[in-house]
Amino acid sequence: MINIALPKGRLGLKVYKLFESAGYEFPGIMDNSRKLIFENAELDMRCFWVKPFDVPVYVERGTADIGAAGKDILLERSPDVYELLDLKAGKCRMAVAARNDFVDDPERTLRVATEFPNIAQKYYSGLGRDIDIISLRGSLELAPVLGLSDVIVDIVETGTTLRENNLVVLNFFADLSARLIANKSSYKFKGEKISEIMRRLKEHDKDS
Amino acid sequence: MFNFNIKLRPEEKAAFALRELYEARGYAFYKMGRFEEYDFYADKKDFLTSRAVLTFTDINGKLMALRPDVTLSIIKRTRDIPGHVQKFYYDEKIYRVPRNANTFREITQTGIECIGDLQDGDICEVLELAVQSLHAIAGDRRCVLDVSHAGLIAELVPDGTDRQEILKCIAAKNTHGLRDLGAPEKLLRLVELNGNIDDALPEFDAKTAGILERLNSHDDIRIDFSALSSLNYYNGLVFRGFIEGIPESILSGGQYDSLMRMMGHKDSKAVGFAVYLDLIERSGKND
Repeated sequence: MINIALPKGRLGLKVYKLFESAGYEFPGIMDNSRKLIFENAELDMRCFWVKPFDVPVYVERGTADIGAAGKDILLERSPDVYELLDLKAGKCRMAVAARNDFVDDPERTLRVATEFPNIAQKYYSGLGRDIDIISLRGSLELAPVLGLSDVIVDIVETGTTLRENNLVVLNFFADLSARLIANKSSYKFKGEKISEIMRRLKEHDKDS
Repeated sequence: MFNFNIKLRPEEKAAFALRELYEARGYAFYKMGRFEEYDFYADKKDFLTSRAVLTFTDINGKLMALRPDVTLSIIKRTRDIPGHVQKFYYDEKIYRVPRNANTFREITQTGIECIGDLQDGDICEVLELAVQSLHAIAGDRRCVLDVSHAGLIAELVPDGTDRQEILKCIAAKNTHGLRDLGAPEKLLRLVELNGNIDDALPEFDAKTAGILERLNSHDDIRIDFSALSSLNYYNGLVFRGFIEGIPESILSGGQYDSLMRMMGHKDSKAVGFAVYLDLIERSGKND
């Protein structure tokens, strides 16, 4: 049995579509029910929806053999898993953004609001910049507008939300998309099946 | 004589099975105190899996550490005897912050160290013992020993800014990431190897290939370059052992001549591994 952790939400649906067109279908999964676990006995596979941020945890601990996680979450959590494939779904970028009129003052500690404290820390220590991290759980655009922070480090897809709030991107610094990850031990003992899934997902990617 | 008619927990059973295995091969039991002076670890933090060390102040005011690692302590207490190989095994408690945990934990670790004027046969023996250790714990479950080579990887990975990123990609079998970082073709080929020893032999130097050829009869030994450890300390073969149903590697080791140099042993070589017995209780049913 192969257990698959999929991220709840928009990205998860895109990834599920990929699985479906590669021949891995889970009946009932698109029905709007509260069910969380779906099994396909014929394929000997089971998949479940979990919070996007938790996908690496399920996979690292082996509850899921494989999973689909955003690169942002992998960069933030650095789980000890295999990152086998770029699924290319949900492409976006990690960016630093600030108010239109923002001018950096290197004599002050930069206040950075983000949902990704580890990513932000790493980015700024690479620049040798001392920062004060403000860890938030969403609606980041508010932080610079209200003066809670100088900049934000966040995912940018189209940039519409930023523009609507008079914010501009100062720098894009990482390309993101969904990745197929695997538990290291599962890969040893269910390797053939996992490679087969990889191969079919890859092939489908070529077709599309 | 007592009749030890008590029920042993699986990790205790495993510890005894491993002791029996190592003693039969002529390894001597090595017993240590539980503390080291903290200073001892200060310049070797990179070698430790978790950088945090549990400390306390001794009655003479010295800062002491509860041992986070056994290998370093054994090297420290070993004297070089030219032309000689010393073989030890241990069964100790160590104190570490496991990955993703936010507190120290006591971890039971058993392992062997083979130190001195090592010949290829000694290295083969340690790898064979690693496979046998896995089997002793696994019972009828399957196990795999992934073998990589730190020296070969170090040669292929330029010592520049991207080195850490490239190493991370190797450990994650992340070939798309390696391509983005402009890694050399040979490295990509190594990462994509299918595990078969015969197919991988041409990639190694003659000496290493000779060792691997002697291990070729073991189906459980696979060449897998994602079995990576710190390049600062390991220089030869490095390996990680997995048991079906245990979600992370339960055995890890390698040849660490560089660490011996760093700790003042000019002429000795060393190879060894550790088994993390507390992972046995994590082996659930995952099917």
